[in-house]
Amino acid sequence: MDIILATIINGILMGSVYGLTALGLTLIFGVMKVINFAHGSFLMAAMFLTYYLFRLTGIDPYLGLVITLPLLFAFGYFTQQVLIRPVFKIERDVREPISVLMLTAGLWIFMDAFALALFGAFYKTIRTSYKGAVIHLGDVTISLSRLYAFLTTVILAILFYLFLKKTRLGQAIRATGQDRDAARLMGINIDRIYNVAFGIGIAIVGVAGAVLLPFYYVHPVVGVVFDIRAFIVVVLGGLGSIPGALLGGVIIGVVESFGAQFMTATWTEGIIYAMFISVLFLKPEGLFGFKAEW
Amino acid sequence: MKKERGQAKTMIIDRTPWIALIGIVILLVLPVFIQSPTFFQFMILILWYAYLTTSWNLVGGFAGVLPLGHAAFAGIGAYASSVLFIHYGLTPWVGMFAGAFLAAIVGIIVGAPTFKLRGAYFALATIAICEFLRVILENTQKFLGFDINGARGILLPLKGHSPINYQFLDKRYYYYIILVMLAIIFYITYRIAQSKLGYYLTAGGEEKEGAEALGINVAKCKLIAMAISTFFTGLGGTFYMQLVHYIYPRGIVSLDLSFEIAFIAIIGGRGTLLGPIVGAVLLVPAAELTRTYLGGSYEGVHLMLYGAVLMAVMLFKPRGIMEPLEALYRWVHGKFFLQPLTQTDRGE
Amino acid sequence: MRKIVTSFILIVAFGVALMMWGTSATAFAADVVIGNILPLSGPVAPIGKVGREIREMAVEEINAAGGIKSMGGAKLKMIYADSRGDPKVAMTEAERLITAEKVTCITGAYQSAVTYPSTEVAERYKIPYIVPVSVRDAITERGFKYTFRVAAKASWYARDQINFIKALGERTGLMPKKLAFVFENTDWGTSTAEGWRKLAKEGGFEVVLDEPYPANAPDLTPVVLKIKRAKPDFILFVSYIADATLLMNTIAEHEVDVMGMISSGGGHSDPQLIPNTGKNSFYHFDACEWEADLNRPGLKETNKKFKERYGYNISPEAANVYGSMYVLKDALERAGSSDPEKLREALAKTNYTKGPGMIVPYEKISFDAEGQNPQAQLVVVQIRQMPDGSIERCTVYPWAVARAGYEPIFPMPSWKWRKANGRAE
Repeated sequence: MDIILATIINGILMGSVYGLTALGLTLIFGVMKVINFAHGSFLMAAMFLTYYLFRLTGIDPYLGLVITLPLLFAFGYFTQQVLIRPVFKIERDVREPISVLMLTAGLWIFMDAFALALFGAFYKTIRTSYKGAVIHLGDVTISLSRLYAFLTTVILAILFYLFLKKTRLGQAIRATGQDRDAARLMGINIDRIYNVAFGIGIAIVGVAGAVLLPFYYVHPVVGVVFDIRAFIVVVLGGLGSIPGALLGGVIIGVVESFGAQFMTATWTEGIIYAMFISVLFLKPEGLFGFKAEW
Repeated sequence: MKKERGQAKTMIIDRTPWIALIGIVILLVLPVFIQSPTFFQFMILILWYAYLTTSWNLVGGFAGVLPLGHAAFAGIGAYASSVLFIHYGLTPWVGMFAGAFLAAIVGIIVGAPTFKLRGAYFALATIAICEFLRVILENTQKFLGFDINGARGILLPLKGHSPINYQFLDKRYYYYIILVMLAIIFYITYRIAQSKLGYYLTAGGEEKEGAEALGINVAKCKLIAMAISTFFTGLGGTFYMQLVHYIYPRGIVSLDLSFEIAFIAIIGGRGTLLGPIVGAVLLVPAAELTRTYLGGSYEGVHLMLYGAVLMAVMLFKPRGIMEPLEALYRWVHGKFFLQPLTQTDRGE
Repeated sequence: MRKIVTSFILIVAFGVALMMWGTSATAFAADVVIGNILPLSGPVAPIGKVGREIREMAVEEINAAGGIKSMGGAKLKMIYADSRGDPKVAMTEAERLITAEKVTCITGAYQSAVTYPSTEVAERYKIPYIVPVSVRDAITERGFKYTFRVAAKASWYARDQINFIKALGERTGLMPKKLAFVFENTDWGTSTAEGWRKLAKEGGFEVVLDEPYPANAPDLTPVVLKIKRAKPDFILFVSYIADATLLMNTIAEHEVDVMGMISSGGGHSDPQLIPNTGKNSFYHFDACEWEADLNRPGLKETNKKFKERYGYNISPEAANVYGSMYVLKDALERAGSSDPEKLREALAKTNYTKGPGMIVPYEKISFDAEGQNPQAQLVVVQIRQMPDGSIERCTVYPWAVARAGYEPIFPMPSWKWRKANGRAE
């Protein structure tokens, strides 16, 4: 029974990380109606940044956020400004901006291959002071690095929610996502909002990279592992919903963890895809009926 | 060809039969001049990709949606024909139609609910379906008494040079087979583009509600396109199996292949007749050459180029390479034939 | 009509360019050109990289020592081709190496799924194909004449692992009874597990868990918790490096106490495993083709040279590659020609027992009628802390070739004890 409890707890912890990776995606998806296929590659970039910061200066991944977040924000901001905006503009009135989708797919391949050439195909890990540390609740063991990741996710999600609701910039982002023409008429600089939204999306991925690294590895194609799960989470939770993204992540995590106790781990992957497909067909607005924030 | 019905997506369409005919004649006689098996292996790859992307284009191009899971149907075709060959000794020449029909049936079952989704949702759904099929194949040892062998995949029993069993030692046979297959799918695409169906598809892709208001059953049109597209993709899967003699789930029912197909078609020009072929002719050699010359020495560089080309095309020619090609054609036409193109020629 | 003429010229030019491309890269007549198909990009690129490095070192040695003497000192010239781990790419590359680069022989391709169809291409062109390491049994069970495999088959892994568990039980009097099979879900893992199942049944073991997992799963904690629930005595693994790292660290985190764990090389033999898992890797057994502390003449020097050059030890796969290069040299000497047919005949008669290439743990390298080296067997190492604090892989089995003074530690101590005594992260 304790093992079952442990699987559920592990599922929630890991699921929160899926939710965190999906948070940035849901923002970009929600505001711009674009799937950022390069999302996982940005995660990879963030993990490498965190990794080298740790290796070269010994700065803990969590502390390192002070440095990595502005860098990743700028990275996202200029990626949107330089690469995506021109394509997006052409397709502004096309209802299905497929070129942007393909552009991000190109960026994805490019970034992964670039990282491979730059860093080599090695699996790298870091050794923080809390690596491998656990707390015991009865017979249930909880990994400290994963607990930190979970807490960070929750805090970040609350902060992000407040940012969108309470700040002027957040309101402008929401307004743009709801109706960009109306937002433009209200004097909002749409292009800048897109840049900022993209930047914030990538910065959030940066947090995901930092919380993952203490218990994970980094590799040039590590993003692919999280990419498709992030897409699934976004749809399960309802496009554009912040609590939805977190809950969607936790559901995936728990299904993966709990389901594996009753079938082989290779089948849980199938269960997740089956869930995803049925939600798409039956309830495309998401499982919980959360309203999009924009 | 009734001109008034010819809802050409591009102006080249009127000359397309000629361009295609010339291309096919050249490709038919090419083996007389060139003997190198490397060259054939290379040409087979190009033609195979051109074939798959042309099949994809029926849905991805004309129906105005973005399927990113077409490798699933190639996998169904390859698995079905091979399983029938191994268990009943049924020649893949017949088996491939069984596989293709199965692919088309799955295509319709999958397409019916999926076509209700728009844009990004559609793309994600097709990705998920492809991955779902891969997981099922990887975890199934036996299906209805047939050996699927899970992740280990299926090995085709080798028969040496055996035309009746779709196995050849000389690459030229494969070259001619895929060439004929490409010609067929090209002709079918051409006829569809000229037909009511093609018009309805284009209309349904671009202005769904408007088309429906005119009484066009958009969903039915899309399903027909999906059935044809997946049928031919299934045939392409069998061809791959006969070429490689070995198949495993990750090797064909993969997002890599699905994305490649979509990339090539989009870079070439979605929804144009020649776009997918142009894309394959340019991209497949580019990928092969960079891999050949750089792949061994610099890890990943060929993929970098691949990604960069894709981005560049999206940035500068989002409607694909067919766009500048058409402009060039128009320029050449004006320059040397001295007859200004009429409005109808432009298909506007 | 001009446009037709123009396009015709363009297409002809394209064809001509292709033909020239196909014939441009021919080597000097005196060289023996060897094609090598490796996964130089993609997820298993680290293994391809080491494979390339060891080939370079072996060939430099051979060339520096005067090349192939029976051919007037002909040099070996290596051409590397990237398979990307994709069978379809590997087939194209094999075909290119044979027809355009005119190679005498091919080596490669590490992944069974890639080796399997690419050897078929070589067979068709009658070009010898040396497979240092690719475990699928069927590779040398197709009656091919041109495929030669130096290392063991997948089923021999299972054979040697189960034999080791039995031998360990007999030696210590603590016979493990309950086995757990945990393996990655591709060709490699599933075919090894098939061998385990059969042998475990014959050996009277109880299988409490038979668990395939996807190698690219983001989280393997569910699998680890499942192992914990099954309470096995001994866990058998087949893993690549990413999943091996995750499994090992997660087993430590969740304190899964078992008598022992044994893996099947691959990720567990990767030089990155010990840096990535540190003390969590202690007491782990790994069955592999080779180890740096084997008692073989010349092995220490070769490994030292490699380590100085590239910064890490030779991997088991690399050791077999190194041996293969010398087997190839030996065969070329006897063939006295770069003619593939003559080389094939020479390879088939190989009886390599001493020389620089004998850093492999086999008594000799020869090939049976199907091209398999029947002497191939595996060694079992245990990951241990040395007196100076460093972590090393010590050969413990077969008993005869074990590192002097090192008995296997069995059963492995509990995680509680290890964490209290600094034997875990």
